[in-house]
This record gives sequence, structure tokens and C-alpha cells, in this order.
Amino acid sequence: MLKIDELEKKWYRYKVKTILFPMASVVFSSVIFVGGYYVYDSKSNTFLTPSHKISKVVLGVSKEMNGSETQESLTLNKVKKELKEVSLEPVIPVIDMEKEERVKESKKYVKKASTHKVNRHTVKAKANKYLTASELTVMAKAEKVKVVKPHVTKKMNFQTTSINYMDTMKEKFLRTGKSRDALLLSRAYYKEGNFKEAEQWALSANKLNSKSEESWFLFAKSKAKLGKKKEALKILISYYKKSHTAKTKELIGQIKTGKI
Amino acid sequence: MSSRFESVKNIFIDAIDKNNYVELESATYNYSVLESSLDKPLKMVLLYGKPGTGKSMLLNKLYHNLKENREIHYFNAPILSEKEFLRSIYEAMSGQEIPEKMRVNFDGLLKYCQKLKDKREIIFLLDECQLYSEPLMEKIRLLSDTRVIKFVITLHKTEDEDVIAKEHFKTRIWEVIEMSNANEYDLEIYIQKKMIQKGFIDISNTIKKRDIKYIHKYTKGNFRETNKYLYTIFDIYEYYDVHEPQKISEKKFSKKILEMAAIRLGYINA
Repeated sequence: MLKIDELEKKWYRYKVKTILFPMASVVFSSVIFVGGYYVYDSKSNTFLTPSHKISKVVLGVSKEMNGSETQESLTLNKVKKELKEVSLEPVIPVIDMEKEERVKESKKYVKKASTHKVNRHTVKAKANKYLTASELTVMAKAEKVKVVKPHVTKKMNFQTTSINYMDTMKEKFLRTGKSRDALLLSRAYYKEGNFKEAEQWALSANKLNSKSEESWFLFAKSKAKLGKKKEALKILISYYKKSHTAKTKELIGQIKTGKI
Repeated sequence: MSSRFESVKNIFIDAIDKNNYVELESATYNYSVLESSLDKPLKMVLLYGKPGTGKSMLLNKLYHNLKENREIHYFNAPILSEKEFLRSIYEAMSGQEIPEKMRVNFDGLLKYCQKLKDKREIIFLLDECQLYSEPLMEKIRLLSDTRVIKFVITLHKTEDEDVIAKEHFKTRIWEVIEMSNANEYDLEIYIQKKMIQKGFIDISNTIKKRDIKYIHKYTKGNFRETNKYLYTIFDIYEYYDVHEPQKISEKKFSKKILEMAAIRLGYINA
């Protein structure tokens, strides 16, 4: 029998060791650092004040002169401080400005070249396949409208026939543990519109046989259907890097354009 | 009250069974080398590596795959007595049982083998050969010289055992297969396949790459250690599932339990 209570106590002790001690040491060292700095700072001030006082006492006659000098030195210090502050400011904006200028210049060239090309060929091509926010909202509206269409009865019929199929397939998979059976299940769930299950089974099929192209496709398609378009594209792009198949490229395009 | 984690933990009981064999890319490669080496005119094949790298599992799979088509015998536990070893070899070859009071004469066995030359080729799979005595190893060597018996032997990879391999078999072993521990990728496949094959897809999906990395950190990709670690993890899971189910999540693999199991097995000094 496991002694879980004892084990939990040990685990808490371990956590204290691994988390609290390093944190405490960081806090402690920072306190020492800040405290040290404060002490040093206050000491340096105390060193300055007596000498200041002494100068006032000894050279009491030329108070005004000294006052003006001290004022001058104060203003100098201020300027120095300001300069220091200025020098501590990030240098990045300066570089950015230069960059911006360069970018602007290059953009000008690009614009010139592009307008030239447009004038020459008079063909307007879309920059990329990603949908804009407005296009996406239109798509979403269109999808909502599609849902209203009465296709439900068809799907219900299909589901009733497929339940037995799913059960038998699941049983078969448990017997064989084969990737092919998981893939068939994923395919069936995808057809049925149960994308969550389709995604799970495609993942299982892929884990058992990562070379199966269809498992990648079903996984990505299910993700896309579940609204995880970015993830779907990421998966397909990583697979395309390995496979370089035209089918993968086509599917990437379909998901990008929202056909799936 | 039983928990589903009880069944999951039982998957990781360290047992050499062909049903527990998990196809990994490295293991598949080693298996194909091993199988093809049996068709070559070799006297011996040496399978070596650190404990827990899957040597016995590979030998077991080879036996079950070939037993229908070839004359193959598997000694999964070492027979340390020379008398018993020779008796077992002879009984396996002849198919006859030797009465208890009788023993097999080694010279007689050699002659018996020589008579079978070019007629039969018998394969013996010997596991844990580092436990055999040197004189017995010498006899195995002589038997392999007849070219009637081919031995596939497994050895643990330590300095001493390397010496045994060098001294006894350097002129006879023509195929040497070195088994190594799994890397993170192989370990992930191993764990996932084991669980998926038994139908625990949902639990396997909760184990993420960072968990595998953590497991690999302590087991170094050793399959025996991995089995032990996962058994302990699911043992703790089982306890919580039965007594304090609110402490475990179905969606996320518990880092706390991973650490608790590591403490329990002494991987972490808490």
C-alpha cells in the first residue's frame, strides 16, 4: 500500500527546496543590494554636507560669490545629470529612425517598381492567401447561414447507421491496435461531422504510423473545422517540409482560403 | 472500488512477452539485422547493450516469429550447471528426454553435431550469457564450430563482459548488434504506443513532450527504468482516483505526480 501522505509531505519539502529557497535567496540578495546602495548613497551625501558647511563657515565673507558658484555648480550638476539621463535613454529610436528612412526609401523604390509593373501588365494580383478580418466575418456569416439550411435529417440517418460501425471499429482497434483502424474511425467521425473525435483518432493513427499521409490530413482538417485554423496550417506546413507532396500544398491552400 | 489507472499501470509491468513488444524505428532496424544475420554463414551472433535496452525482448520476438519455420530454441533463463546445459541442448536437438540418472557426454554431443552437418541448422537463443562460466562458454564456442548449431547470445555491456566477448568470441562472432537506450523521440513513441495499443488513448494524449522530457531525464531512455517509473506514476494516480479524485485532472498529466513518483523511486532526493 502506498504511503501517499508521507510522499506528499516529501513532495512539499522538495517544492520548498526547489522554489522557495531560490526565490528567498533572490529576494535576500536583492534586499542586500538595494540596502547596500542606499547606505552607500546616504554616506556619500553625508560626506558632501560637512565640506559644504565648512566652506560656508570659512569663506563666510564671499557668501554671495560662493552662493553663485554653488548655484553654478548645481546647475552644472543638473546638466550633467540630464546628460547622464539622456545617455541612459535607449539608443534604439535613433536606429529605428535610420531604419525607417531606409525602409521608406526602399518602399518608394518598391512602389515605383510595382506601379511600373502594374502599368505595364495592368494585372492586379492578391498579395497573399490569408483572409482579411472583414472577409472572415463574411465567411462566418455565410457559415451561420449554412447551418440554418435543413440538412439535419440526412445527418441523423447517417448517424444511426454509423454508431454500430464506430463500436465495431473501436472493438477491432482495441483488438489489433493498428493504425489503419484508428484512421478508418477518424475518417468516419469526420464524415459524420464529429470533428473532435475525428481529431483524436487521427492523432492516434498518426502516433502509430507517422508516415500515414491521411492521418496528417484528417488531423489538420478536423482542427480547421474546430476553428483552430492556425494550428492546422502549422501542422500541415511541418508535414509539407518533410513530404513535399502536392496534395499537402493543395490542402494548405484550401485551409488558407477557408474552403475547409 | 477499482480504477482505470490500475489497468494502465499494469501495462508497464516489466515482463518479457511478445505482446508487450513495441515497434520502434531503432528496434525494427536491429531486428532486421538480427534476422538477416541468421541466414548468413555465421557461427554466432552477439547482442549486447546495457540492462534494459530491450535485448531479451528482441530475442523473444525473434523466437516467436521464427519458431514455426525454423529449428529454433530459446533459453530465456541461463542454465548455469554445465550438466543441465548439455542435457538441455541435446534434448532440444534430439527431441528425446534423457533419464535423470544419465548425463550427456560433451565429446559425444560434438560427434552427434558433426554427424548432422549440412543436414540441419539449429539456432539457440541464449539470454543473460554474462552469467555463464568461462568453461561453459568455451563449450558453447566449440559447439558453434561444428556449424550445426548457431548461437545468438545476449550480454550486458560492462568492462568484464567485453573481455568475455573479446576472449571467447572475437574470431567466431561475425555479427555484433549493439543495443542502446532510447532517445526522447523513441521513448515518446514507446510510451504512447504501449498505451494506445491497450486502448488508453485519452490518457496517452495527456502526456506531452515536456512530460516525456522529464521522464527521459531520470530514466535515460532505459526501457526497464521507464516501465518502473510509469508503473509508479499510475500507481499514485490510482490512489488519487480512488481516494481523492478532486486532486487529479483528466485533461492534464500531473507534474506533481511525476515528481512524487521520482521521489518515491529515489530519482529525486527530497
